[in-house]
Amino acid sequence: MRTKLAIAALAAGLAVAPAWAHHAFQAEFDEKKPLDLKGKVTSMEWINPHSWIHIDVTNPDGTVTNWMVECGSPNIMLRRGFTKRSLETGTELEIKGYQAKNGSFRANGSSVTFKDGKKLFVGGSNPDIPEDQR
Amino acid sequence: MKLLLFAVAITSALAQNRYTPPKTPWGDPDLQGTWPGNMGVPMQRRPDLGTRTELNDQEFAQQQEQARRNAAADAESTAASDTRVGIGPPSYWTERGKPTRQSSLIVDPPNGRLPGLTAREEQLRKQARDGRGFPGEWRGEANAPDDLNIYYRCITRGLLGSMIPVVYNNGNQIIQAPGYVAIRNEMIHETRVIPLDGRPHVGNAIRSYMGDSRGHWEGNTLVIETTNLTDKDAIGSNGAGYPGDPGHHSAELKVIERLTRVDAETMNYEATVVDPATWVKPWTMLIVLKKDPHYQLLEYACHEGNYALGDILSGARADEAAAKK
Repeated sequence: MRTKLAIAALAAGLAVAPAWAHHAFQAEFDEKKPLDLKGKVTSMEWINPHSWIHIDVTNPDGTVTNWMVECGSPNIMLRRGFTKRSLETGTELEIKGYQAKNGSFRANGSSVTFKDGKKLFVGGSNPDIPEDQR
Repeated sequence: MKLLLFAVAITSALAQNRYTPPKTPWGDPDLQGTWPGNMGVPMQRRPDLGTRTELNDQEFAQQQEQARRNAAADAESTAASDTRVGIGPPSYWTERGKPTRQSSLIVDPPNGRLPGLTAREEQLRKQARDGRGFPGEWRGEANAPDDLNIYYRCITRGLLGSMIPVVYNNGNQIIQAPGYVAIRNEMIHETRVIPLDGRPHVGNAIRSYMGDSRGHWEGNTLVIETTNLTDKDAIGSNGAGYPGDPGHHSAELKVIERLTRVDAETMNYEATVVDPATWVKPWTMLIVLKKDPHYQLLEYACHEGNYALGDILSGARADEAAAKK
């Protein structure tokens, strides 16, 4: 039920906001390259127009690849209470998303969660969030 | 309760204005403060609503229900087992906006829709980019950066685009000084410094995306006339065109903005678009802005970190290489 609700909400959100700032997402990421990345945070680029999390992912052969995962605008993340102290280096994350079309180790993070399944980012903005928590 | 208050505010905003705003120490009406835009009102009205400027109770209730469902989904702290519902951006990227009864930003023509294009403009749009049209929304092409609109490229949303609420970062700030008004737009970090002393516009050869603005007071309304624009940007709900429309206009575009505080918390921002080379008659938008002293404009220096553009162009090359195999 929760999933259905989330999908309905997402679909509705897209319907009223067909245009994305710097994103034709379909142009940047490849829906034929789904990913499930588990790794440790090495850094976060807190930059406009979109921030990027870097994580080290250990491959089946034991080698390590540093992936970059595209996140929201830092301005709106800050307004939701996410600060540069919110994500410590070494934090373990699971990211479900899609790889960049150009084959680089970049991905969009459809879902970014901690090990226990809790979402790293909660949003979009809730109109009823008290002013001092926005 | 909050939603109800907001609805009442909209209604009063559209009614005749009797509010007298405070004055600055030098005697001008005081419009200063942060006035973030509210997403969710479409640029053009649904055709079946005709000349109705406000949603009825049932339509508004649907909006409120949608907002409630969004808020419930947003509040979920645990992700579903797989939320990959496609490669669109995750919901946490965006603002939601508050439901309002306003049925469209365009309030004139009375049907809330753009007037027709001139024959010249129709021809231009057909011929642009060797027949591919102006780049509004992405159309699956990325042969060169200018196949992507100037908002994707982090250049600007131009005037009037910079005032139109979009996915996030809709902060606007007004600062006044004797003889000047400055308007800041968070998305994409624009500032217009507008003289009020009646000086003429700059020479005709000088052109810019945000144009050359001159202001004056008509009673408690700030009226701004902007000329010296270019034909290289677009007006639209994402600053780069309407959904399905590139929003292209001519360099002769003139924008007349009227800013009127209608109560202590509300300002009507009206903009009339005059461009006889593009549209057969002028048209007017109304954006209702709510004062929010808690809203802080943050830097949105967009270009430097815009990795997406490189990814899009190199992604298109990768697609081409794959197609050749």
